[in-house]
Amino acid sequence: MTDRRRINGPPSGTRPAVFASSLKSASGAATERPRRHRQPNELRKIFLKTGLIPSASGSAYLEYEPSASLAAARSSPQSLIPPSSALKLACTVHGPKPLPRSATFSPNLVLTTHVKYAPFAARQRKGHIRDASERDLGVHLETALRGVIVAERWPKSGLDITITILEAEDDRWWGDAPDSHDAPWGMMNVLAGCITAASAAIADARIDCLDLVAGGVAAIVSDDAAAEEGNSSTPKLMLDTDPAEHKSILSACVVAYMPARDEITEIWLKGDHSKASLGVDDSSLGHEALIDGAVNAARGAHTVLVEAVRESAERYAGLSNSDS
Amino acid sequence: MASTLPTLAIPGQRLAPVSSYAAGPGTHVQNANIYASIAGPVLVNPASSKTAKSTLSVSRSPLRKAAPAASPSAPKSTAPGPSKPRYNTLPAVDSIVLARVTRVQKRQATVSILVVLDESASNNKSGPQPTTTTTTPTGGSSDNDNIEAILSSAANPENHSNSDELRFQALIRKEDVRAVEKDRVVMDEMFRVGDIVRGTVISLGDQSFYYLTTARNDLGVVMARSEAGNMMFPVSWKEMRDPVTGAAELRKVARPF
Amino acid sequence: MASSAPPPALTLPPSQFARLQPHAYLLAHLSPPAASNQPSLRANGRQPAQFRPTSANTGSLTHTNGSAVVRVGDTTAVCGVRAELLPTSDIASWSVSHASSGAKHRQNTTKNDADADADESQIQDLNLLVPNLSLSTGCAPGFVPGAPPSALAQSLSHQILGLLHSTRLVRAEDLRVWYQVPSFGGDGDMDVDADDEGQKKKNDGKEIKAFWVLYIDIMIISLAGNAFDAAWAAVLAALRDTRLPRAWWDADNEMVVCSETVAEATRLSLRGLPIASSFCVFEADAAAGWRAVIVPDAEEEKKIEEDQRRGMQRRWILADPDGYEEGLSQERVCLVVDREMGKTVIVKMEKNGGWAVDGRELKQLVDIAAERWESLKLILEQC
Repeated sequence: MTDRRRINGPPSGTRPAVFASSLKSASGAATERPRRHRQPNELRKIFLKTGLIPSASGSAYLEYEPSASLAAARSSPQSLIPPSSALKLACTVHGPKPLPRSATFSPNLVLTTHVKYAPFAARQRKGHIRDASERDLGVHLETALRGVIVAERWPKSGLDITITILEAEDDRWWGDAPDSHDAPWGMMNVLAGCITAASAAIADARIDCLDLVAGGVAAIVSDDAAAEEGNSSTPKLMLDTDPAEHKSILSACVVAYMPARDEITEIWLKGDHSKASLGVDDSSLGHEALIDGAVNAARGAHTVLVEAVRESAERYAGLSNSDS
Repeated sequence: MASTLPTLAIPGQRLAPVSSYAAGPGTHVQNANIYASIAGPVLVNPASSKTAKSTLSVSRSPLRKAAPAASPSAPKSTAPGPSKPRYNTLPAVDSIVLARVTRVQKRQATVSILVVLDESASNNKSGPQPTTTTTTPTGGSSDNDNIEAILSSAANPENHSNSDELRFQALIRKEDVRAVEKDRVVMDEMFRVGDIVRGTVISLGDQSFYYLTTARNDLGVVMARSEAGNMMFPVSWKEMRDPVTGAAELRKVARPF
Repeated sequence: MASSAPPPALTLPPSQFARLQPHAYLLAHLSPPAASNQPSLRANGRQPAQFRPTSANTGSLTHTNGSAVVRVGDTTAVCGVRAELLPTSDIASWSVSHASSGAKHRQNTTKNDADADADESQIQDLNLLVPNLSLSTGCAPGFVPGAPPSALAQSLSHQILGLLHSTRLVRAEDLRVWYQVPSFGGDGDMDVDADDEGQKKKNDGKEIKAFWVLYIDIMIISLAGNAFDAAWAAVLAALRDTRLPRAWWDADNEMVVCSETVAEATRLSLRGLPIASSFCVFEADAAAGWRAVIVPDAEEEKKIEEDQRRGMQRRWILADPDGYEEGLSQERVCLVVDREMGKTVIVKMEKNGGWAVDGRELKQLVDIAAERWESLKLILEQC
């Protein structure tokens, strides 16, 4: 069981720290769930920069703006338990390079995607070896990108896309116990970020693409807060949801979307969206609204993507100017 | 004629209708419009004949040296000669490549391709001295390849050992070494491991190898070290000499420019 | 030999020359023709003893106890420190071997001299520091993501572990969670031999209930040579940033619990500030690597020195090599130095792959490393 190629900790294993506050009451009443300060259709700001890793053919670094609660916790730290987290990831593209000897002939570019969390990326320490969710992300990312790349322009060659996640999104608020509605919601935000960053890195590597594909997330949430204020707890559609900010996410959707062609290359819908539309008379709430919402979120990410890629093109084209 | 064309394009950006231009490298056609498929400067190659349309492409390399300095207003009009359009940076048939010999066998030599030379460089191969490729090593970095990327590329020991796996492999078969006396070729007297060879691609080959030929006067070994380890200079089409020891070694030598 | 620098047969743009004849390319930069009046610079434009611009940033990763991002030129290392608890009841040999450790320790702390902590070896014995470095991040072509750690990654991880142990950077006392056994009626906390238990209580009434284990994970995000210096600087910066929550033994729940209050958390009190400086040796004779190996005798040494006097340098010691330079040199020197009251202390000195660097040069390198220490200290203190 021990990994001889790595430095292992104590053989008996270790236990994550248990905080006294979470021990006192099951609900963890000491701190409050962070609240969404954004409008339902307001996205978090995205920081995206290309070309930071010069030994790669193309690269991109992506960071989500910390939510209001996280920003507050950063500026005046009170608790050691972070209220939420903000996605941070680095993406590199290597290639086009020869296919391995063992590979069969391919007239197209062969895409390999790889997503790995840093051990410190999430609330739970991640292992060094890729787990199922990381493999899952890799496959989703590959489908999202395969429809975008003009693969037949690069015969006999391979392209490796590697994403390292330095900080992931939470799947739920840390104070909540896992419940039946639970799903790895944070993973969907991570996937959207992966798609946007990979798209920038591929453009930075000058691999032919039909369009800049962007990732976007939308979710149908039902917040208790609304119910307490007297409103009936109508499920609401929110764009770019931070799972830590919501009591219960009914369903969520991530898309990879090409605005210039109005095409979706990857769609991943999770949760029970039928219940949401059944709940109240608003019949438009359902999977269609969810997909439209995710597409709108992707459009927002696309504007950031355009700027980052334009910057990459200018840097590249201006090379002969700036050097002399 | 190119008034509405952007200087820089990004993938997915609509450039022009197919009715006014032909689609070139770095672009694709969708719904009778030409779209950019890579990020870079937009180039217009004037039509070769009156009847044909000009070709619109997005350059994979930075703007040609003359363009931004001399006439920044019209960078699109720089025509890099009658070069063949290139859709990628991979070796293609007729590409001139520089490659390092990694293995010499009785019937063939294995090489790993280091550089795919620009069309513009190979165009003037009949000329006495290609003007675009004369730069001393200490000169500025006024070339079309990102030197920073080369310098930063990690060459740690283990990366080094498998770096050939990251390069495209090619074979020079015995019959493709030279044009004359093909049956009397002895591979050991043509190439040695470590030599740098200029060759041209004759076939994309199979899944793992391209096929190269050196059967031309300007093709063959361009750099080689002697057994003593010194850089040799060419003395004839089949011999190079060590300047220190004076010893001669046999090679299929490329005619120096 | 220098005459072979510009190959006569071919003129190439620099990028192609750099790729085809890397050795000659770097040599041409380092030994420009005497007439040209150019200074001897590396291909990357640096002086031989010049380090790359370095920046550091700490505390930006949410789910860590301490974190740092260090960029040395184009090499980027991200380090996250994550603390978890190791209850002593989980340590198989604990009750036997460490039964009386508390007593010894207490005397030390009362004297307020933790440096003389006799149980400092606990860090090493119990594997309380767990550094792992990953290169499978797409940081450079050639490292297959998803593959087990490469030989280089393994060796870097072990170098960092070795340096953590040998510098005794982290104090064992910082990692201990103590429990003051109530002086009355509080027996039966541990099912140890009754005699032993009694003995211990008589001594001090204090026992270690758990240790903090620091998982120190380093992701090399971008690799452009000299990964060790960047990784070590990132480890150092992240440890300086690390805060451990106040932890105590909760007898009711029979477990260690922590306080989430930031004000109660404590920073590690690190021993010194050891900073690593790496060098590589570039030799003018390209074939040196594979020619028959002959140790230069006295006469040859004299000739080398003569050459140097005439300005014909035959080898260069390059500080903070980039990836290109690393690939062209055999010999490496790694110095880890600390400075105390204006005195340079060599913490580690490692040299391998050749014999070009002699004692005199090593002394010069120590001076360069000391300068580097000063500049990096400023950077680390500002972040």
